[in-house]
Amino acid sequence: MTFVAVLAFLLSTFGTAQITVNGGNQTMTITTGVAGGQPVSVLNTSCTLSYTRQSKISKITVATSCPGQSFNLSVVATNVTRGNPAPQVSLVNGNPATDLVTNIPNSGTRNSTCTLQFTASSTFSQGNSTELGNDVHTITYTLLAQ
Amino acid sequence: MLKIVPLSGTLCDGSSVRGSKGTEDCRNYSITVFALLFGILPSFGFGQTYGSATNRITVKVQAITVLQISAGIINLSITGSNAIAGQDQMMTTDQTSTLAWGTNSSTKKITVNTSLATPKFTLQLVALNPTVGTAASQVTLSTTAADLLTNIGRSSGTCGLLYTAIALASQGTGTDAHTITFTVATQ
Repeated sequence: MTFVAVLAFLLSTFGTAQITVNGGNQTMTITTGVAGGQPVSVLNTSCTLSYTRQSKISKITVATSCPGQSFNLSVVATNVTRGNPAPQVSLVNGNPATDLVTNIPNSGTRNSTCTLQFTASSTFSQGNSTELGNDVHTITYTLLAQ
Repeated sequence: MLKIVPLSGTLCDGSSVRGSKGTEDCRNYSITVFALLFGILPSFGFGQTYGSATNRITVKVQAITVLQISAGIINLSITGSNAIAGQDQMMTTDQTSTLAWGTNSSTKKITVNTSLATPKFTLQLVALNPTVGTAASQVTLSTTAADLLTNIGRSSGTCGLLYTAIALASQGTGTDAHTITFTVATQ
């Protein structure tokens, strides 16, 4: 019975997701450009993160896996209800996880959210998807002790 | 001292138990203890990482080609000041306009042609100081597209446009109105 109680406690306490991304998968399409300039970047704010207060001050990092990446993608957290948004992060395949939200308090409100603002950009010299294929980023958001 | 009370499993001697309340010092359950302490619990917040989530963002860039001329209308007038006594040919030039482009497709060039099928006078054009690509030699404008700039693929750049109007005294007077088309084409 002791073991069952401990297991039930663990599952009830820690079994729920500590961080979730809402909004699903997104496609961002760059369609126009400026003569003598560059293609016009595209913004997407359809996704949000929900995260839970932890026993220690925590933070969220972000990293991408995008083999054969051709174009540029960056993300910044906006409308952060708890914690501090980090500066805009360039998502580059192979780069280490980088801070997205820091100083998430270990007390107070249990659940927090933020909006993910993605910016897709490219240069004319980077080419187009017809010739190079799309960039498909699998982006990982990690909640961890700071 | 952590005491593990197994619900079910295999004892050290190989016999099965279920709901045992004993205090068997069993290696199998010792492994379970380590798994809990060092495998499962850290992922629930006793270590550095509390959790993670993923989604997928696809970035698609369409084939984009843009061209822009700095001046809409250019007038070249050949007057008496352009004439040299004893010479049939008179000419004037204009260098006030520029061409800007951007293309993210490879192997591209810029061609030029005029809408005027039978001009009375001659109009020539050459690209000056292109920031990217190779300027073709001076083009005499006709309805057939001719290369103005080559090797501009996947670039953004600018160049000057030098128009030269040529008239012969023997051709008399008149006006040619050209509508000039610049095109980014596959090289």
